[in-house]
Amino acid sequence: MIVGIPKGLLYYKYHPFLITFFKELGAEVITSEDTNKDILDLGVKYCVDEACLPIKIFHGHVVSIKDKCDLMVIPRIMQLNKNEFICPKFCGLPEMVLNSIDNMPPTITDPIYAISKNTLYRWAKTTGTRVTHDTFKIKHAYKKAYESLINHQTGINDKLNNMKIALVGHPYNIYDNYINMNLVSKLNKLGVAVETMEFTQDFLINLEINNLYKKPFWTFARENYGFAVNAATEKRVDGIIYISSFNCGIDSVIIELIKDRIGSFPFLTLKVDEHTGEAGIETRVEAFTDMLERRIQNESNIPTHG
Amino acid sequence: MKATFPHMGNVYLAVKALLDGLGIDYVIPPKNNKTALDIGSLHSPEEICLPYKIMIGNYVQAVEQGADTIIFVGSCGPCRLGEYCELQINLMKKLGYNLNFIVIDYPKDIGIKELFKRINEISGVSNKKAHEKLNALLNAIQVINLIDKIEEMAHMYAGYERNKGECKSLLNKCKNEAMQSKTPIEMIKILKNYQQKLKYISIDINKNPITIAIIGEIYTVIEPYSNFYIEEKLMDYGISSRRGLSPSWWVRNAALSPLKINSYKIRKNAKKYLSIPIGGHAVECIGEAVTASNEGFDGAIQIFPMGCMPEIVSKSILPTISKDLDFPVMSLVVDDMTGEAGYITRIEAFIDLLERRREDVLSRC
Repeated sequence: MIVGIPKGLLYYKYHPFLITFFKELGAEVITSEDTNKDILDLGVKYCVDEACLPIKIFHGHVVSIKDKCDLMVIPRIMQLNKNEFICPKFCGLPEMVLNSIDNMPPTITDPIYAISKNTLYRWAKTTGTRVTHDTFKIKHAYKKAYESLINHQTGINDKLNNMKIALVGHPYNIYDNYINMNLVSKLNKLGVAVETMEFTQDFLINLEINNLYKKPFWTFARENYGFAVNAATEKRVDGIIYISSFNCGIDSVIIELIKDRIGSFPFLTLKVDEHTGEAGIETRVEAFTDMLERRIQNESNIPTHG
Repeated sequence: MKATFPHMGNVYLAVKALLDGLGIDYVIPPKNNKTALDIGSLHSPEEICLPYKIMIGNYVQAVEQGADTIIFVGSCGPCRLGEYCELQINLMKKLGYNLNFIVIDYPKDIGIKELFKRINEISGVSNKKAHEKLNALLNAIQVINLIDKIEEMAHMYAGYERNKGECKSLLNKCKNEAMQSKTPIEMIKILKNYQQKLKYISIDINKNPITIAIIGEIYTVIEPYSNFYIEEKLMDYGISSRRGLSPSWWVRNAALSPLKINSYKIRKNAKKYLSIPIGGHAVECIGEAVTASNEGFDGAIQIFPMGCMPEIVSKSILPTISKDLDFPVMSLVVDDMTGEAGYITRIEAFIDLLERRREDVLSRC
């Protein structure tokens, strides 16, 4: 049996789990290619117009491997932490895909509640029976998969030069180099080090969250807000770049919250969608780093506004 | 304390009845208008959804009339509404207004103690006795039930009425008169009076008007300004329309949801297409579409604000329902930049399509 895993959305964070799980069950696993122009075009063709870029790209990935596999995994990730959600589009992702794309192979769409080891195992149990009926094998595969998930480290924390920025955004915008047009290597080339959210401890994030009137109920909102504000207030970085896809409902809220909190700290929002031109992004990033450089050089000067 | 609240359809009548009953001073913001939206779009984050922008306009206009406390509801679902309060508190502070926000949230998110504390902030101002307060609340619930029923009747009878425009003028008169009332009891009397009047308007039962279901995101379907008065327009065209989502439905749904016996029919009908609640009112949207098709409606119009996350999911499901059940569905996206002419053209074209489908029986084969 060939299991297909589309390389979109949270694949970048959780792929070791899915791949190890199905490999240990004895299935052959194929993934789609890295995002490229063809996949984007397929996604735009099949997906509803109003959806955001990462969702469209996910559709493209699904289309590109749908004829090559017997079983496709469309992860319906409901919750990652207790009392927290992700975007509603994740909860309805299988519906979006199945209703927009014809001739789909059988799919795995069981809801994933990754709140604890037990709730995740419940998903593994129901899903595993689609491949094998050997419960011992499923349990074993789950253990292996869980280990590989724990050992899997994502995140970027360069220890380069004198300048450092915090790169904030959803994981699929940060790690998919087609969506963000190689932003990280572009920044490195300009001599800027990058830090992402994974290296900020949870309790620091929660400290920042406690200052809010209401605790954000989206996992990524909590993490991104906490990280950005923590990095800015502790002056660990010189500036913040927020990479956001056009029309993202969650980002529209977080960006406002961060801006409210950090005041005049350098903050750049990069909006990406399927029409974004690379030149425009480059110009904005260069201008931003130039500004940061001047800020560092003139730091001892009295600012003009007071 | 001078309380105010954002507009959403006819909710202002119920809140007026409640605050009148409690004896609390209040300001009703001017009905949603272009100025409110302009103020809202000027100050709001760029990509936030339309309801947020209109609400900011409401607040600013109410504060200009002397309000100092804003009552608002929250939620803790995956939809953006739950984050409104935080952003709006920050924004109003930035605009230089010193306001007190009272956010009524679900107890599961803030704890039952906090909820009572917040409710007490409102009811503590009133010097009425406890049973009078309870009475005020019951009256407010009765008002919202009545006005929703009247609206539903008017929208349904509009297709059957003998004297064209009778339903519409009765409905508007009813709202105006209710607004002028001094006490909740008086308002209920007026509403009951109009309900009777509507019951006995002369209708032609042999007419077979086009029937359309209005589905979609709850704010944009309920608030007539945000959907360009689509229901009034349909009444003008002599079309019967029905909208499942209403403030009274929301109250019932919220009250029954802990027992999981809320809107059973909707959930049952939606199950085939969307089995898991994904936040917002996506399940309701899908369920309403299927229900409308089962009940012999001619078509459905889905309305949602640009960027609404749950409704994007339901929009991608609706074409399948349309195909499976041979049921035309049109999706309209509204935001502060929507042009009215293009919007009307699409509605008219949709109605033409429904009419022709009827005439041309072959098209159903």
